[in-house]
Amino acid sequence: MSPLRRDTLSPPGGAGLHNARRLAGFILCAALLAGASSRVCAFTVSIAPAAPKTVYLQVGVGGFTGNYDAGGTPGNNASVNKDSVSVAAAAVGNGAAQAMTTDSTVGASSYDGYAFCNVPAQLYIGGFYRTTSAGAGSVNVTATVPAALLDAAGNALSFARISWTTGGNGPTGTTTTQPFPAGTFAAGTVQTVGAIGQNQWAESCWSFSYSNTTLPAAGTYTGRVLYTLSAP
Amino acid sequence: MYLLGRLLLLVMLVAAVPAAAKTTVIDDSGTLPYDGPLTLHWQQLAPHRPVDNRMSGTLAVHVRLHVAPWLRRSGRIYLVLPAQQPGPMSASWSTQGRLLAGNLSSGRRALVYSGLITTPFVEDVLQLTLLVDGTQLRQLYHVNFKFEMDED
Repeated sequence: MSPLRRDTLSPPGGAGLHNARRLAGFILCAALLAGASSRVCAFTVSIAPAAPKTVYLQVGVGGFTGNYDAGGTPGNNASVNKDSVSVAAAAVGNGAAQAMTTDSTVGASSYDGYAFCNVPAQLYIGGFYRTTSAGAGSVNVTATVPAALLDAAGNALSFARISWTTGGNGPTGTTTTQPFPAGTFAAGTVQTVGAIGQNQWAESCWSFSYSNTTLPAAGTYTGRVLYTLSAP
Repeated sequence: MYLLGRLLLLVMLVAAVPAAAKTTVIDDSGTLPYDGPLTLHWQQLAPHRPVDNRMSGTLAVHVRLHVAPWLRRSGRIYLVLPAQQPGPMSASWSTQGRLLAGNLSSGRRALVYSGLITTPFVEDVLQLTLLVDGTQLRQLYHVNFKFEMDED
């Protein structure tokens, strides 16, 4: 390899030293050179673990463009999905649990597009937690649950009447240990409904049901549960 | 006469064996930035099978090597990435032509120049990309590089 251009010769300490860091580096290097025949100068690059943490949570319709394994990227989606059931008048309070259905159209995993959940019977929940820490830590997904569902007349129906089972299609869906296990809403609390291991993708399909063990006043009862994924 | 012949043969043998190249760390204190911050990004934004936990970042480094001690002599310049915290990593770089582009993993070195040293300083701008295992990052690290000269 031959030199392609003429290098600029600028004496140490002259105009070539543009800032204090460079000057400090030169002084340090010069001091080291003064007492040693072998030179020990070396530039460094600083890397820090703080910035690259990432979290993503999808309950129902999500914000993905494409799938992860096809180079898709996560984004925001403001949709709020609804799970509901209409109980026939003759069946109200008979103790037979009533299966609820979702208005979410998402049955495919955002991970790879696999038909993981069966809509409208199941609601997809999935996400990931990206962190630079090593180990087997995890972050929790919580549900902020109001005390009750209300109708237009102000009648209340406890959120504790709603439960869910968990699962999914395929090998990961049929395992007993789901990242988002079965449960029952704890009315008026913030409860943990699942966990996501660090640097892993987690997903489950929830099937909600109404216990139908009480005789509430006739009406349409609504309430909203907020799911949150937070990382330290 | 016999002794003279043996001595001559010995001299010839010694002359035929190349002397081991002397390696010296080059003064690169004129390099900017000398401790530059590198912003890292996940290679795989979301973890999917197989999980790739590597992170990478690129930084422009204006390299300025003080090679006056080797002026008008031939030598080889290497970029060295010593083995260090936070563990195994690799670097790759492009240049503006004065030095050679290349790549290397930690604990190794790569040739960036070979030939006659004609100027007291060798300068180039490297687009340096570092690839590290994101799960090994626990604190701020100052990843050390250095340049070495092997004299011919």
